[in-house]
Amino acid sequence: MTKPNLDLLQGTLDMLILKTLALQPMHGWGISQRIQQISQDVLVVNQGSLYPALVRLEEKGLIESEWGVSENNRRAKYYSLTRSGKKQLNEETETWERMTTAVQKILQTS
Amino acid sequence: MFRMIRRAVRAILRQRKIESDLDEELQFHLDMQAKEYERRGMSAQEARSATLRTFGGVHQIKEQVRDLRGVGLIEVFRQDLRFGLRTLRKSPGFTLVAILALGLGIGANTAIFSVINGVMLRPLPYERGDRIVQIRQQRPLANQNNVPFSVQEVEDYRTQNHTLSGVVEYHAMWFILLGREEPERVQTGVVSHNFFHVLGIKPLLGRTFRPEDEQHEADAVLVLSYGYWQRAFGGNPNVVGQAFQMNDRPHTVIGVLPQIPQYPDENDVYMPTSACPFRSEDKFIANRTARMMQVFGRISDGETVQSVQQDLDTIAGRLQQDHPEVYPATTGYTAAVIPLEAALTSSIKPMLSMLIFTAGFVLLIVCASIANLTIARLLRREREITIRAAMGASRVRIVRQLITESITLSVIGGVAGLIFAAASMNMLTRFAARYTARAVEISMDARVLVFTFVVSLLTGALFGLLPALQSRRNLARSLRDAGGRTVSRSRHRVRSVLIVAQIAVSFVLLIGAGLMMRSLFKLEAINPGFNLHNVLTMRIALNFSKYNTSEKRLDFAQRILSDFEQLPGVTSAGANGTFPLNEEAPGSLRLVVEGRPMPEGGFSQAPLVDLHFVSPRYFETLGMQVLNGRGFSNTDGIDATSVVVVNESLARRYFPDDDATGQRLTLDRGATWASVVGVVADVKQQLQADVPDTIYVPLFQRPILLTMQVLLRTTGDPKLIAPAVREALYKNDPEQPVDNFRTLDEVRAEVLAPPRLTAALLVVFACLALVITAAGIAGVIGFSVSERSHEIGIRMALGARRGAVLWMILRQGTLLIGAGLAAGIVGGLGFSQVMQGLLFQVQPNDLLTFLAVSLVLAIIGAAACILPARRATTVDPTMALRSEP
Repeated sequence: MTKPNLDLLQGTLDMLILKTLALQPMHGWGISQRIQQISQDVLVVNQGSLYPALVRLEEKGLIESEWGVSENNRRAKYYSLTRSGKKQLNEETETWERMTTAVQKILQTS
Repeated sequence: MFRMIRRAVRAILRQRKIESDLDEELQFHLDMQAKEYERRGMSAQEARSATLRTFGGVHQIKEQVRDLRGVGLIEVFRQDLRFGLRTLRKSPGFTLVAILALGLGIGANTAIFSVINGVMLRPLPYERGDRIVQIRQQRPLANQNNVPFSVQEVEDYRTQNHTLSGVVEYHAMWFILLGREEPERVQTGVVSHNFFHVLGIKPLLGRTFRPEDEQHEADAVLVLSYGYWQRAFGGNPNVVGQAFQMNDRPHTVIGVLPQIPQYPDENDVYMPTSACPFRSEDKFIANRTARMMQVFGRISDGETVQSVQQDLDTIAGRLQQDHPEVYPATTGYTAAVIPLEAALTSSIKPMLSMLIFTAGFVLLIVCASIANLTIARLLRREREITIRAAMGASRVRIVRQLITESITLSVIGGVAGLIFAAASMNMLTRFAARYTARAVEISMDARVLVFTFVVSLLTGALFGLLPALQSRRNLARSLRDAGGRTVSRSRHRVRSVLIVAQIAVSFVLLIGAGLMMRSLFKLEAINPGFNLHNVLTMRIALNFSKYNTSEKRLDFAQRILSDFEQLPGVTSAGANGTFPLNEEAPGSLRLVVEGRPMPEGGFSQAPLVDLHFVSPRYFETLGMQVLNGRGFSNTDGIDATSVVVVNESLARRYFPDDDATGQRLTLDRGATWASVVGVVADVKQQLQADVPDTIYVPLFQRPILLTMQVLLRTTGDPKLIAPAVREALYKNDPEQPVDNFRTLDEVRAEVLAPPRLTAALLVVFACLALVITAAGIAGVIGFSVSERSHEIGIRMALGARRGAVLWMILRQGTLLIGAGLAAGIVGGLGFSQVMQGLLFQVQPNDLLTFLAVSLVLAIIGAAACILPARRATTVDPTMALRSEP
């Protein structure tokens, strides 16, 4: 647990959740595991932000939830992307890429 | 905003589900995490605690989620409500006073609104009541705007119109109904067979009329009104099918009407036109000028009141062309359409608008006064609020808490108001019944409840928002001035403005009450010109098929009057077609005096005077003085010389120089002449009107009355002899009904009831306002005394006299009262103009009323100042100085 990890800004967390759900519907635990896994433990999702974020996204209508059965046969709440969630993800990805490219350029020139 | 509401609503409905879902979801997460740790080699125990450590506060997460789900809002509201109720419980005095004041204020508004709702806002309980109209024939040049219709005219409008889907006629009659225990005079509506169909009234029991019921010579049938069915038959449904004897033939009851306002009159029974012995006469039907009917219609789909009016104009024009002799151009002739709703409520509208204004004013005063009390309480709660703010409560949160408290209070007050309103409903319904047939519809329905709820919320918001927005502008400053000596300058201003407004509005209400009282006193003081006490009146409506000649009617009248006079306790008996203060209008006559020139334009231009047919002892029974000549005697019979008696007004106007007695005038357009044998004192026919010029004719000389009002002067309580009277009458004719037993005192009380009740309502409202305002003044002054006790202490320590301190405090109160009076006078002058129509012999800007009201308010205001001001003079300088932090 000594590896350096980064706290995520709220907007960034929202985007990562959307991206994760774009692959397949998933429960809260799975989302946090997946983000940690893909970022190779660089990004750690704080549960204290994850669940409020999920609720916020659901209230905005970007994701929806449904009770299902997990891998180990327990009832779990599965979140999936809605149509407007998909649109939002595309927009945010684009913005993110434009911004990171810009930031990168600035960092390289100095 | 919309989403917030939706979320809040959903949160309320699904709060439990949201909570349990969240618990389960978080538990799942924790378990999975623990499993993951176990997989990495931790023991179950270690895994669990590690999980909880990394996870962070479960409760914080839940709280955050609750907020997001909207549950938070509800939770905050609950907290506020609980806290508010606790605070209110802690100051029971304030709470009780506030709830009582709010209850009275909201209750008054609820009660008046129920009446407005019942008689004006609700659609007529007839099917599509807004499409029903009355048609009136008018002669504008002769100032007649409601001329009855003849059968011919009804027929013309029925067949020639293109805009009405039904045209029906109505006229009121009374007949004698036999077959119940006692003979009974029943008020009867005579109507077209489709009358109820066109008005859209479905029977409660049985059926209404069909075309065959209106055929010539059809079997006579009756439909009972709901009220009569209840009154006479105790609501027995078996009455349908029973037959009763009326007009010498059996009439079968075929149906009962539902409980609806009847228009134009409250009738006992209805019959088709063919059953009315007058309406069905051939001569009557053929005569275009035999007018007695009213006409109603239903507007066809797609037509409007305007298009109906155009249609009627066309028909009226055609009639005028076809029958110029019947519709002379000199009087003009038109037909007008008037929506029934408007016709039903036109007389109660001014009364109701004045009452709702008044009730609204009272509520405003209540609001201002509770706002003032709340500000005072807030100042005392300064520390609490300051601490809460210091602990991080946002301004919005504090204001929300204060408003929740106010609205809680006002909603409880609203419930109290509903109770007050419900308690007064009976009285108000009877009051409204004097003005409109729709009074039966008054009830506290869903709309009234919604109104009360909304008014309660608005009231709470109004008296809560003002103090709440005043609170906490500057936290640091208020912490600094923890003593609360200097912060409240702006609040003082607000409180002063509120008090001035209260005084002004109270002034206006007092003016209303004062003018109404003055008007009522004038009415009460009217001397009707006769002795009201110990006189029993009754109505004897003769069976016209039995008493169908003058001789029979004379014989009957003579017999019963002499029998009545034989009764123990009766000193004299008199009869007339009407009597003073009675609602029955007397007949009228064109006055033409023998030997004087005819007026220009002939007989029909001669002045109209009232005409009474009275029995010999009528004047004596009423206690009317004979000023000159003689009254009537039994010798003024059918074959004797024609005689009349005139009243003082007539004698003074037409015979100012000569003796009226000995003059002759005509009762039959100049064919014969009757001598004036006496002059009697003036008596009021209507309490509020001038005494009309009147001619009295001996009833025993011209026994033409079908309905006699009989008056008995008694030695004891007049009411007690009614049974004996009834018995004496039935001995003469067991089939002759008598009803409407009232004493003259009761008749007068009935005339005075509406102004008395209006005055009483206004006085109650005004007193309420006065008490609340006085309490408000005392509160403001008292508070400023306790706030300034430090200053007062210094002044007194420096040698100020008690009188000077007293004056200093009183001056503050005097300024408030003076400002309030000034504003009140302006408002009062405006308000009194609205009342003008309700006043009798009192000018709306009546100086006496304005002076008296100013004086009352000034005295009450001063008294309210003096109590707290005296407390100021008892301030002990050492205590006041020491107590300062």
